[in-house]
Amino acid sequence: MSTLKVEGLSVRAGALELVREVSFAIAPGERVGLIGESGSGKSLTALSLMGLLPEDVTASGTARLGGRDLVGVPESRVKDLRGREVSMVFQEPMTALNPLMRVGAQVAEVMTLHGTPRHDARERAVALLDRVRLPEPAQVARAYPHQLSGGQRQRVMLAIALANGPGLLICDEPTTALDVTVQKQMLELIDEVAPALLFITHDLAVVASVCERVLVMYGGRVVESGPIREVFTRPRHRYTEGLLAASRLTPRGTRLPTIQGSVPPAGRFPGGCVFRNRCPHATPTCEAAPALTGEGHAFACWHPAG
Amino acid sequence: MPSHAGTPLVEASGLNRVYHRPRTSLTRPGAAVHALRDVSLTIRRGERFGIVGESGSGKSTLLRLLCALDRPTSGSIRFDGQEISGRPEKRLRFLRENLQIVFQDPMSSLDPRMRVRDLVAEPLVALGLPAGDRVKELLADVGLPPEAADRYPHQFSGGQRQRIAIARALAPRPQVLVADEPVSALDVSVRGQILNLLADLVDDLGLTLVFVSHDLSVVRHVCETVAVMNAGEIVETGPVDDVWEAPAHPYTQELLRAVPTLEGLW
Repeated sequence: MSTLKVEGLSVRAGALELVREVSFAIAPGERVGLIGESGSGKSLTALSLMGLLPEDVTASGTARLGGRDLVGVPESRVKDLRGREVSMVFQEPMTALNPLMRVGAQVAEVMTLHGTPRHDARERAVALLDRVRLPEPAQVARAYPHQLSGGQRQRVMLAIALANGPGLLICDEPTTALDVTVQKQMLELIDEVAPALLFITHDLAVVASVCERVLVMYGGRVVESGPIREVFTRPRHRYTEGLLAASRLTPRGTRLPTIQGSVPPAGRFPGGCVFRNRCPHATPTCEAAPALTGEGHAFACWHPAG
Repeated sequence: MPSHAGTPLVEASGLNRVYHRPRTSLTRPGAAVHALRDVSLTIRRGERFGIVGESGSGKSTLLRLLCALDRPTSGSIRFDGQEISGRPEKRLRFLRENLQIVFQDPMSSLDPRMRVRDLVAEPLVALGLPAGDRVKELLADVGLPPEAADRYPHQFSGGQRQRIAIARALAPRPQVLVADEPVSALDVSVRGQILNLLADLVDDLGLTLVFVSHDLSVVRHVCETVAVMNAGEIVETGPVDDVWEAPAHPYTQELLRAVPTLEGLW
């Protein structure tokens, strides 16, 4: 088991800086949440660890998992790591699975690609489907994706992600497309099987039910990080504070707290503190970018809460 | 609020809707899917009525029937005392004037080639009503600047697009606003803005609100009455606080247990 260590990870598309100087580490067995609204850069962060960035988008900085580099290495090397060292479950299980292939064969395929003999792969595929608690795994292995429900398809995706025994599992909004009752089972399963977990979501309550540590992203930067209970009960960054307030549904007839304005499109975030054009506490000081500081519980804010 | 507040406005009784799957055999018809089974409900004037259910529960089918966008296989729906199920479109004008809908995804419900001015005025044009200064007035009501009228939907954020969809729904001065998952596609920081706006409009205009959601905690914030649906049936209905505090049906209990919450942390 190995630790993921990300340092100074930046992602750019031409002149646009989409993710800036992101650093974090995930130890074996640890469950870390990455939260933020759409456009915050959380999915790009994950895709750069998987070597799956779109054509014109490039990552810089370092990310090491068990002594191997994940960022800035050629595709020929990345494809050996992807699936074996680090693997990912995406939001939409219908588009991630091949509709023309039986699901057992899809689970087996990722193992044969990494050198498992075909016959062994078939057998292990059934065992994996059993491990993600699909009833009658041998029968499910012969099914096509459209014959399964959304929750079952997401379990198949999880089986595929686990097939080569990766050291790190990344889940990007794995339950957003699922009903709440199915979501609950899926979250319990992820928690049970993940070797180490980077869990991406916009849903604060979901992240609180799975993770012990959290990174809050906004405008391509990590603005706050720390133990989840501490960050969620005593947020320091004004964005985290606003997000938590907005997530709490007050009784009927009362006003819901809101964050003014909306998340700007990529490249339109203000310089300095990225949140300052929506922040009720912003002053001219915020025109300079605050650094992420603090041991354990860190935040990047000139006028922190609390 | 109108003086006749509290009288029944929408009354559905014994609604059934059966769909047929495409046939897979030459000799037999396709399998029947019972999307709605014997559903009855009453929505009163001025009420905020929530409908909660997961995918496949029948909530969308029910909504389409209430809006006369589909016909029930059997059963009746009365709007303000008039039967609407099975009526031809040309005899539904009173319903189209009085009941308007806001959909979940403002990207697909707004025609990208139309300017906001024309989008908002569209229901008025369709009903042959004069637009006049109504568009400017409506944009102000939903918190958008007058210049928004000359722009296209893609120039707005998700929350602003939902404001445009709400302005359009309010154009013919309806009595009932039906909102189908209106905040599900929005970021958390914007969700509150739209829920606050809906609450204000419902109060100011004395609207009756039908609010469909998969999220019982959102319904609890918005509505006073809720109907919980599962497998085509209403399994529980009543004041939302009662259902939240003491769910009677096993399905509602399961649903409430499954909702992730931050409450434990506070």
